[in-house]
Amino acid sequence: MSDAATRRPNGLALFILPSALLFALFFLLPIGLMALMSVLTGNPVVAPKVAFTTRHYARMFDDPYYLEVIWTTIRIGLVTTLVALAIGYPLAHWMARIRSRTGHALLLMAVLAPMLTGIVVRTFAWMTLLSDKGVINQTLISLGIISQPLKLMYTETGIVVGLVHIYVPFMVLTLTGVIGRIDERLEQAAENLGASPLRAFIEVTLPLSLPGILAGSLLVFALAISAYVTPILLGGFQIMTLPILIYQQISANFNVGFAAALGIILLMISLLLVIAYNHALGLVSGQRELQ
Amino acid sequence: MTKALGSSRLSRRRFLTASASLGIGTIAAPYVARADDPTLRITGWGGKWGEIMKAEIGPAFENEFKCKLQIDSAFPYLPKLQASSRSAPIYDVMHTNSNEQWAAAEMGLVEPKIDPKLVPNLADVYPYAISDKIVGVSIFTSAIGLGMRTDKGYGSVSSWKELWDAKYNGVRGGYVIPVNSLGQAFLMMCGTLFGKGQLDLDAAYTALEKLKPIKIVDFTGAMEKMLLSGEVGLCVIHDSGIYRYDGQNQPTDFVAPSEGVLSLEQVLTITPGSKMKELANAYVNYMLRPDVQKRLAETVWYSPANRKVKLDAKYDAKLLTTPEKVSKLIQVDWKWYNERKDEIDQRVNRIFRA
Repeated sequence: MSDAATRRPNGLALFILPSALLFALFFLLPIGLMALMSVLTGNPVVAPKVAFTTRHYARMFDDPYYLEVIWTTIRIGLVTTLVALAIGYPLAHWMARIRSRTGHALLLMAVLAPMLTGIVVRTFAWMTLLSDKGVINQTLISLGIISQPLKLMYTETGIVVGLVHIYVPFMVLTLTGVIGRIDERLEQAAENLGASPLRAFIEVTLPLSLPGILAGSLLVFALAISAYVTPILLGGFQIMTLPILIYQQISANFNVGFAAALGIILLMISLLLVIAYNHALGLVSGQRELQ
Repeated sequence: MTKALGSSRLSRRRFLTASASLGIGTIAAPYVARADDPTLRITGWGGKWGEIMKAEIGPAFENEFKCKLQIDSAFPYLPKLQASSRSAPIYDVMHTNSNEQWAAAEMGLVEPKIDPKLVPNLADVYPYAISDKIVGVSIFTSAIGLGMRTDKGYGSVSSWKELWDAKYNGVRGGYVIPVNSLGQAFLMMCGTLFGKGQLDLDAAYTALEKLKPIKIVDFTGAMEKMLLSGEVGLCVIHDSGIYRYDGQNQPTDFVAPSEGVLSLEQVLTITPGSKMKELANAYVNYMLRPDVQKRLAETVWYSPANRKVKLDAKYDAKLLTTPEKVSKLIQVDWKWYNERKDEIDQRVNRIFRA
């Protein structure tokens, strides 16, 4: 076999061209434009005199308010991820190990059912439950358990509840595939050697499912920190997150440059997370890093 | 012979082709027929305003001026105009509130004034509609005051300051100031109520701090729903947001505070790069016509800007239809406000965060 023959491009590789073009057009180009807008004084297409500036980033780091908003966004993302993992892992484990095909189908339907309804509708449903005149507060008041409504909405807890409900299916579906591929005989071997079921789970199943935990967590965190509808409806603008601030800058302050800088920061947070994920995955799979 | 007969038979393929052609033709016919009509691109609200514009006011304008009206009711309008080319703007006429119009004028996206020679009805409007606080022309206004529940035994309300009464803790309603005109106007009112005037921001911030706990929403429609559901008992709202439920036996009422009501103007401006200037001016003139003003005012409960409009008694009693009533309107200096908007936003975001 000659070198020329081995270097000849695979004809099937051409099939990737449309998706590569799509990716370049609808992802790389907008991100590139956003990065450019974040370091310009205005829009060069419509404004006559535009110069490079770092003022949008300086504004963000000069004022602790924006750093607080960034931290609030990350905090909501982290808590949502942890709660989604705590709820999703047992469910995914059950789905992966259930013997009955009907049972598996029913569980899958239960997990997927919320995804068949729009995020706005689901969030409004939470509002009818959590508001001062909502089902929970009115029930507790009518039972005489409380006299004043509990502050369930317009809090970070309310936002996390809404986000967890929306993103748990992403965690479950990611984990189910990974847990399902773990050979059950490994757990059985551990138990045969004297390990309790809990110890077998902790020392065998849990480490082997780490790639799924990391992938599911990455997905949920990225979705949670970029969520707009749920934080705005359940937070009532009293909990400011980066996506809300970005929308505010575009729709009410008409400051596209600052909004772009905030968008770049949001993207950087996600990118750092992906890098950390790659390293972590490399370590748990026994490699120094993913090639 | 057989072949000839066969060719005239209606096959499934022919039937489907004919049906598809007929369907496409039916759908496309109005567009093809009006392909040569000039198109005026405007912005406008949804809800009742959008319904009547689509059903009556818009089609009547199209018939009279032999044009097509393309209405964008997907907010926010200004960022879209900002992103479009100055020489080929996305809108010919922009309809939005006064604060945004000022921002648009500062960016050179809309013409600051309407030419009275091209819009004759401008001669008949109340002075506030073309005052130095207005970019373009205000075609309608609402009065921003207080909305209250009448079934909670709160007693009568007559002053803005009663919003600070501790009995409204938990049922007090306000707005997300950075994104809402009513919220921004109310902030200026706080300066007047507790400080040296509209421009006294420090007094306004102190007053806003004392308003907590308060339920805040981003748009007036959400406030209307909260008031109707009883989530709030006393709130900042415009009169149309209460009066539009007239006849539905809702336990809500509008209060015009003794210190005066703030003006929420519905403003029209023309974009400098519009290729439809003549039609744009005709549209502004049309919207100021007494018959159009009357129809819209009695549908959405906005106070007409044209002095010559005679509303039916029911509307005349509640809306701002006389020079005396109009004189109670307090206009906000939006130019001054917009110059400080970033600073104000940062401060109020801090005040109202949970």
